Amino acid sequence: MSDAVDVDELRTWLEDGYASSVRTAYLILGNRPDAEDAVQESFLRAWKFRDSLATGSSFKPWLYRVVVNTCNSKLRKEIPHRNRRRPDDDLDDVAMTEDPIGRVTLSHDVISALKDLPAHLRVVVVLRYYADVSEHDIAIVIGRQPGTVKSRLNEARRRLALHPALQSEAPSSLNARKEKRS
Amino acid sequence: MTTFDEEMMRRALREAADDFAISDGAVESILDEARETANSNQSPRIRAFIQRNGTVRSTVLAVAACVVLLAVAVPLLNSEGTPNKKSPVQFAAIPKVDTNSAPALGLVTGTGNLGLSGQVTAVGTSSPVTFTDRKTLKNASASSLDGSLRVEEVGSIQLTVGGTYFQSTLTKLTDFATTDGGFVASTQSHIGNKSTHSFSTGTIVLQVPERLFTMLVNQVRHAGRATSINTSATDVTGQYVDLQARIDALQVSRTQYLKIMSRTNSIGGILSVQNQLNSIQSQIEQLQAQLNLLNSETTYATLTVTVSETGHQVVGPPHPGNGVDKAWHDSLHGFAAGVEWLIRIAGPLLFALLLLAVLLLLGRWSWRATERRRGGVG
Repeated sequence: MSDAVDVDELRTWLEDGYASSVRTAYLILGNRPDAEDAVQESFLRAWKFRDSLATGSSFKPWLYRVVVNTCNSKLRKEIPHRNRRRPDDDLDDVAMTEDPIGRVTLSHDVISALKDLPAHLRVVVVLRYYADVSEHDIAIVIGRQPGTVKSRLNEARRRLALHPALQSEAPSSLNARKEKRS
Repeated sequence: MTTFDEEMMRRALREAADDFAISDGAVESILDEARETANSNQSPRIRAFIQRNGTVRSTVLAVAACVVLLAVAVPLLNSEGTPNKKSPVQFAAIPKVDTNSAPALGLVTGTGNLGLSGQVTAVGTSSPVTFTDRKTLKNASASSLDGSLRVEEVGSIQLTVGGTYFQSTLTKLTDFATTDGGFVASTQSHIGNKSTHSFSTGTIVLQVPERLFTMLVNQVRHAGRATSINTSATDVTGQYVDLQARIDALQVSRTQYLKIMSRTNSIGGILSVQNQLNSIQSQIEQLQAQLNLLNSETTYATLTVTVSETGHQVVGPPHPGNGVDKAWHDSLHGFAAGVEWLIRIAGPLLFALLLLAVLLLLGRWSWRATERRRGGVG
């Protein structure tokens, strides 16, 4: 396969998955510049090592795996060791600067709670509820067993339900949850 | 989380993430970079590593297995070989003894009815090892010291002889020593009396020129039935040379002090030098005494021979001949042997398990790193 053909293949990948990957990375990392850096790096690496995609394997989880691992790498190595980017790039502020009517408040609270989650829980929540990846595919993405994905999702849901922002936002659902537990 | 919560989460995430526009230039910049990367062709090495990953992993596992195998085998082999290494100059070689003179320390295997025929074969550790070791020591030392070797040799032999041969054996032993140019350092004997059921025993200490020690041991061991033989050789050349050097140095100092004394006119000076001379002289005499002792010990080898009348030697608890007692004894022996074996292998096994755990952790870590890299790249 020539390089020209391969680059055309990369173009197809980008057209199909670049936007959704950037938005996913944005939710994981918390700001747009880092998300764009991570996704660009991910696509280049994925294209460079496209031979490692086993025949018959699903492309989407594989690509998400590249993206998630790049995001994790940034979360571990880069972001903690540098000054934060412009404040208006952060999830909180993006949500707040958008539509001033009611939906922004909900979005803001959920995003605020999401930011307080540990990275490994945030990843599964974003993949499950934003990227709409099945639990089985999430297991492939993060390189863990499906049971681990389930437990992480449960833990994430538990923490989100107990988060003060969400408790004040949706008391009815939380009350129903408490009643169900008791 | 309820369904409502999940829907809320989906909606909130979409609202947060979908509202900003993706820059169009990003795709083209990625494509440009991809073209540059394709031209520079920087990836084959990493790709080759990833493609080789399965082979690398298998190799690492094979190496780990070999290491674990060695970790288990080497200590076990060492522990099996330990008894021969512990006592370099110790042996007990007994061709045949009768029931009454069965050696206390040898392994006894019955070849007949103990009570009727009274013949057993006693098997001890092999004797040639000891002689070989001693000769090796001597040869090694001799080669390095060019004939100035000083080896202190001592040994002990336990002999069992028939009651009628007790006195003649003592005489024979004395003859061995005196004929070889040695002498009898001490003797001690007790003559038994059949009426009081006491046995004759005796100890004789022989000293012969060091070069004839091996020959003396051979002669003595055939003077009766040897139940144990122990010999040891210690190379004291270094100690001897050190003593000699210190004496020489002190003698030089003494000569210098004597010269000083001859030039000193004052009483105080003479007394001071005299004190020093006295001290030096005292040290010289002490060292000389040690040297003489060492000289004597290395000139003459010492062999202590314990002679006892047949039947005197303490024999271990009689081994059950057959039946339930024998089975019970064998069972206990087997149990003890099993426990000993477990204890013996516990150390190496623990070490091997620890090593295996470390290797597994390393393997897991490297595997996860590789997977992460592969995940990062595909």
